[in-house]
Amino acid sequence: MTTDNLSGKRLSRRAVLKTAAAASALQLAGPFIIKARGEGVVKLGLDNPLTGTYAAFGKNEMIGCQLALEQINAKGGILGRKAELLVEDSTSGDAGTAVQKARKLIDRDKVNFLLGNVNSALAQAMGQVANEKGVLMVDPGGHTDPITGTDCHWNVFRVCNTTQMEANAVAGVLIKDYGKKWYYITPDYAFGHTLQAGMEKAAAKLGGTKVGGDLTPLGTTDFSSYLIKAQAANPDVLIVLTAGQDAVNCLKQAVQFGLNKKFHIAGAQQELEVLEGLPPEARIGTWVFEWYWKQPHVPHVAQFVSEIKKKTGKVPTARTWFGYAAAWTCALGAERAKSLDAVKIAKALQGFKLPPEVALMPDGAFYRAAQNQLIPDLYVGNAKEKGEANEPEDLFDVTRIVKGPQVAGTLEETGCKMTWPT
Amino acid sequence: MTQLIAFNVFNGLIVGAFYALMALGLSLILNLSGVINFAHGGFLALGGYLAYTLIPHIGFWGALVVAPFLTAALGLIVERFLIRRLYGRDPLYSLLLTFGLAYIFEDGTRTIWGASSVPYQIPASLNSPLSSQFFFLTGYRLFMVALVAVAVVGLFLILNRTRLGMRIRAGTSDLETVSVLGVNVRILRTLNFGLGIYLAGLAGVLAAGMLGLEPTIGTALIMPSFVAIIVGGLGSLPGTLLGGLLIGVASGVTTVFFPSASEAVMYIMMGLVLLIRPRGLLGEEGRIQ
Repeated sequence: MTTDNLSGKRLSRRAVLKTAAAASALQLAGPFIIKARGEGVVKLGLDNPLTGTYAAFGKNEMIGCQLALEQINAKGGILGRKAELLVEDSTSGDAGTAVQKARKLIDRDKVNFLLGNVNSALAQAMGQVANEKGVLMVDPGGHTDPITGTDCHWNVFRVCNTTQMEANAVAGVLIKDYGKKWYYITPDYAFGHTLQAGMEKAAAKLGGTKVGGDLTPLGTTDFSSYLIKAQAANPDVLIVLTAGQDAVNCLKQAVQFGLNKKFHIAGAQQELEVLEGLPPEARIGTWVFEWYWKQPHVPHVAQFVSEIKKKTGKVPTARTWFGYAAAWTCALGAERAKSLDAVKIAKALQGFKLPPEVALMPDGAFYRAAQNQLIPDLYVGNAKEKGEANEPEDLFDVTRIVKGPQVAGTLEETGCKMTWPT
Repeated sequence: MTQLIAFNVFNGLIVGAFYALMALGLSLILNLSGVINFAHGGFLALGGYLAYTLIPHIGFWGALVVAPFLTAALGLIVERFLIRRLYGRDPLYSLLLTFGLAYIFEDGTRTIWGASSVPYQIPASLNSPLSSQFFFLTGYRLFMVALVAVAVVGLFLILNRTRLGMRIRAGTSDLETVSVLGVNVRILRTLNFGLGIYLAGLAGVLAAGMLGLEPTIGTALIMPSFVAIIVGGLGSLPGTLLGGLLIGVASGVTTVFFPSASEAVMYIMMGLVLLIRPRGLLGEEGRIQ
């Protein structure tokens, strides 16, 4: 018995030793394997919100990126190497976290491309980091103007529109059809500030005036006191510039107060995610969509829609397309430059026109040289209560397609002065 | 201008009543068990989502009754298996636990119901203003205030007239003596926790009618509730009610003059109260050590 026990013990100790040895061997071997693979793959690092107010937008952009990567790899990868997507949660509003994750992706994971961020302020902060490190960055969906304006960088490209472009696209329709006196409800951060400035500028050119406005803190839940003020100002149009969850809250309450019966409610940017989150009676107003899934006459769109539907069961939104176009921009830029060198890719993307199967718009889209801003079509129209029975996700009625160059302003107006590394 | 201020005072009372409903649940749990329940917002969101899921089957009114009870049932389970283990320890332990739970709730709801907000429909009979002049008095908001009033009166009746309520109050002031007198403190705490979570669930069902229902709905509402408790005074339920109403009005009136500060004003009020009267307006002395 005793011997058995002893031998048993001895055996188990040996086993432990063996396991430990094996484990340490694995640990030693591990890094080599990973390193070898690291040299083989091209890495795209997505640093975008997966939690908080902008989680829904962030997730849709991620799905777009994922589809793009599947297609890129199916076509032989980037420069013959497999492409891989690394995803980090930037949070919805904490620039510190977004920057830390960007540094992690660049320094530790050695990504070749950085992508993000839904939140304009976070996108700006990431742009700084990417510029300092000389990494090519594509901003899929952060809209504030300076990113490709006064704060532009040679290495930072943007897919979504500037707020000024959205304002220019919708201002004319609002003044013509609904009136010149506008009251603003604007989120109090980078995106809202530039969007309101853009709307005011666009309206002023057409004789529109501002009768009042409030800056609302990001994450405001109760808009009732702002709506009371707006009603007192008696505008022709209530311009709602809040995005995401704030937009849902604001529109829901405005409709409950019956304000849509007193004046027109409109804004610049609107998104399918927001309309879907509203009860049908609150799906109102005149807006700009940056991409829309229902474009029956545009080639390749139907296929894109069906592939996203296969993945998620839902139609793609503008956010899905932002992610898709952003990831494809990285791959196409590298192929065009025949290199993974950021400067060479950035040069190759100057004036680059996205191929139709990526652009998915009637007039296509191109990166304006010396600004790195994508100039696409914009979709102006009205939200609708519900779609036809077979298309419940058709919640927007496009009345006008505005060509990007008409609303992008001149390069001087954007304020972008780009300096290239020497 | 006067009208604008008057409107905003009324409106602030409505908003404040809602903060109070959330804060009362938090306050109940904090007073008896010393647990700072950071997961309260998570329970609130869950209440809203359960109602959203139930509405197609049993209608809004059915969901209004059932969803808070389901939320409370989950609260009982959480208390029984997790929070109970941490009674008597440093409050930091339960704070960390509920802080973690808050994240689990948020991501759990996101996994089940998706990250986007969902269209939550309230009965059309409540969904319009009662008069064109007082357009901010919608049927839904008045109904909500009435319900808060009923909940508050009910709560005070339970606490003052029933055996359970008296034990909860006795336990709040001296748990040890109550336990020596033969009251089962464990069950008392569990029921009290369930009652607090019931209020969170009810607040969730109501909030989803005014706000977009999405996983972070509770996060935005929990801070005003904590502020309401501190302003009103720890240990005092009437204080919590008063605190909620006060910050609602303060925030509303600030919007008239300086909208960017409409959120900050709550925290300024909290700071002032802590400086001048640390126990809060109606708080008991010695609650904050």
